[in-house]
Parts: sequence; structure tokens; C-alpha cells
Amino acid sequence: MPDRPDPPAPALPWWRAMLGDVQFWIPVTVLVAGLLLLGWVA
Amino acid sequence: MTGPAPVPAARLRQLQAVGVLSGFAAGAWLGAAEAPTKAVVLGIPPVAISFLMVLGVFLARWSLPALIRGTANVGVDVRRAPHLVVWALIAGCLWAVANTLTIFAIRDIGLSIAFPLWNANSLLGIVWGALLFSELRGAGRARWLGVAGGATLMFGGAVLLTLASPSQAPAGSAVRGVAAALGAGVLWGTMYIPYRKAYLTGMNPLSFITFFTVGELGMMTALAFTYLGGPVGAWRELADARAVLFWLLLGGFVWVVGDLFQQYAAKYVGIGRGIPLSNTNQVWGLLWGILVFGELAGANQTTYGLVVGGSLVMALGAAAIALSPAPGAEHRHWQEAAQREAARYGVDPSYVGARLSGDDPEARRGRTVWDWLIVAAATAVFAGVATSAQPPQLAFHHGWAAGLVLALLALLGAGGWALWRATRFG
Repeated sequence: MPDRPDPPAPALPWWRAMLGDVQFWIPVTVLVAGLLLLGWVA
Repeated sequence: MTGPAPVPAARLRQLQAVGVLSGFAAGAWLGAAEAPTKAVVLGIPPVAISFLMVLGVFLARWSLPALIRGTANVGVDVRRAPHLVVWALIAGCLWAVANTLTIFAIRDIGLSIAFPLWNANSLLGIVWGALLFSELRGAGRARWLGVAGGATLMFGGAVLLTLASPSQAPAGSAVRGVAAALGAGVLWGTMYIPYRKAYLTGMNPLSFITFFTVGELGMMTALAFTYLGGPVGAWRELADARAVLFWLLLGGFVWVVGDLFQQYAAKYVGIGRGIPLSNTNQVWGLLWGILVFGELAGANQTTYGLVVGGSLVMALGAAAIALSPAPGAEHRHWQEAAQREAARYGVDPSYVGARLSGDDPEARRGRTVWDWLIVAAATAVFAGVATSAQPPQLAFHHGWAAGLVLALLALLGAGGWALWRATRFG
């Protein structure tokens, strides 16, 4: 059985891929907004 | 280009059944986590109670994975998908901020108004699941209706149950209270994005919670320092709470067992189905309150009507979701979403595919000396605080407590066995 080929190398390091991922900024934005809200209600 | 091979129908049915069972087990254990905290008498600031429970959660989140699977597997996951460590930390921070917001929401508008507002988080989970991760795509109209309708029914049942729950009179600004409760719901609902991201990319739930809890404890410590007067004030509260520390840590421990099941539910049936199922915790919490602690003694018929009606509506909603598992066509969309994640972050597609199917070819069996040290340290802390614990001074119906504990153990056994048999806790 032939060896499975290695997966393609990512175009970017993981942290840059993460910073360019729109989905990453949704929880980050909500977290910052939550902290601001907490500062207001507390 | 060909997509990933579809998961065989029988295997998919098995994984869906395991996910649904995990969701119900999560509800039972998350609800039972409220029981030990009943032993805590008033006089301790809510932020301090929350902080101490998170300490118990931290101990459990490190020791249970070490006991169940060994921490060597955490290292494998981190090497495969290091970005998920950051996602888990963010999810932990979201949890801590949301939990603190609920404290202020209860203070300002009372539990009966605040709870339904933040409980809408499961509906937001469905929206994020559908929008970002292709959940419910290809599910067909009947199943879509089963999930969305079931979650809406559960939300309605939760409102009825909350109206029947004993609650303190609010004493604050209504606008701030509503904003805090809604904010908590949005934060918790958004926390499920990292959950789904992690499980689509193949991370093991036991690895995810190991990092989640670092974010959770870090953020909760920062908030406790802020609201309790710095490290000195927080330490003073800790010392003052010595007598009830054990009950709070125990509450945190029980909560983690429920949360673990919730993580597996999120992995195998998605956040759209898994989160509403685990929200059955409200019924279990109320059962402990009514049967074991006699909280509704002397209540009128309307209150009992709300409890029975709310529980039935919630059960109906949960049944609708449980009977609407993801069909093969929907699971194919999950696989495509997973492959997109693999391509973006350079994770081996075969690793992602295998993990999504509940397989774990790289799993390392057995525990190391570090695992046993972690378990021993956590056990020593629990034993240490247990020696200074005072028995609770409240009415306690032993028969009902024994019955509910048996039900918990049965669900733990059934859920744990099913997860082991189908996925080896993968």
C-alpha cells in the first residue's frame, strides 16, 4: 500500500491564519463588548 | 476535487445517539451542580461564590481528563491544532464574564426575569451553528422544524419554570439588569463558536476544557480582584468562606461532569442540538430544589401548575430535538466545514476527518506519573477542605436525594459507557 502523501503545508502560520479568520473576531468582539457592559452595570 | 468520504449511515446513527445521550446526561449533572451550593448560607458576596466554584471547576477540569484519558493526548492535540488553544482561552473568558453579568442581572431585575433573557443563548447557538458551521443545512424541513421548534418550546418551558422558582426581590436598575442578562446570553451563545470550531477541527473535548479552564480561572480571578478589593480582599473572602469551601468546590466538580457531557454533545450533534438538550438542567435543578430541599413547600396550585407545565413543555421540546438527528446529507456539510478549517489552519485533513467520525487513531492509552500526580493533588485539596466543612443547616430529604443521585449515576454510567464504546472518549 503506498504511503499517504503529506498534507499540504499551510500558506500562513497558524496565528496569522487565525487573525485573518473572520470567525475569530466574532467572539473577541463580543468579549470586549461584554467587559465594557460589565464595567457599566457593576 | 472529491470531498471527504461520507460516514457510514450506521456509524452516523451511533454518533448521533451518543451525542443526544450526552446532552441529556449534561442536563442532569449541570442541574445537580446547584445542590451543593444550597449549603452556602447568605453573607458571602455572589462574586466570591462564583470565584470559589471556578476554583473547584479548575481542579476538576485538570484532574478528570488526566484520569479518563491521560494528559499525553492533550499534547497530541496541541501539536496538531495549536490555534485551538487560543480559541479555548477566549471561550473560557467569555464564560467568566457572562457568569459575572448574571450576578448583576439577578441583583437588578431578579432571577425570574433575568433567567429567560440569558437562557436565549441556546437559540443564538442555533443561529451561529447554522450560519458559520453548516448545521441544519441539508437536514430537511421536518428536522429543521424539530430543532428550531424544539429549542423554542424549551425556551418557553424555561420561562414557566423560572416563574415558579423562588427568587429574591430585585433591587436595582431595570435597564442595567436587562442589559446584563441579555449580554450574558449573547456571551454564552457566542462561546459555542469556539466549541464548534474546536470539534470540527478534531480537538478532543478533554483537551479543549483543559485550556478553556485556564481562560475561565484567569478571567474570573481578574474579576474577583476587581470586585472584591484586590488580592487581599479576595483572600479574605476565601478565608471567611472556609466552612463552605468544600460545598462550593463540590458544586464546581459536579458542574464539570455535566459540562464534559455538554462538550461531547456539542461535538457529536452540534451546538444547535447539543446546547438546548443540555439546557434541561433547569428541570433537574428545580427537582433538587423541590424534592430534596423542599423549596416549594406551602406554594399555591398556580406555582405547582407552572412547574408541571413548564417541565412538560421543556421535555416536549427536548424530545423534538432528540428525534431530529443530523441526516447523512447534513453531516456531509459538517465534513465540508471541517475540511475548510483544516485547509485554513494547515491541519491534516485525515486527522480532522477521523476525529469528526469519532475515531482517534493517534490516541495514547494509559496514564503517566504526571497524570496520577494531578489526580492526587486535586484529591488532596478536596480532602483538605472537606475536613473543615460544616454540614449544611437546612431541611434535606434523604430519600429523594438518594433517588436523584441514583439517576445521576445511571446517566453517568450510560453516557460514559456509550462514549467509551463508540469513541473511546474521542
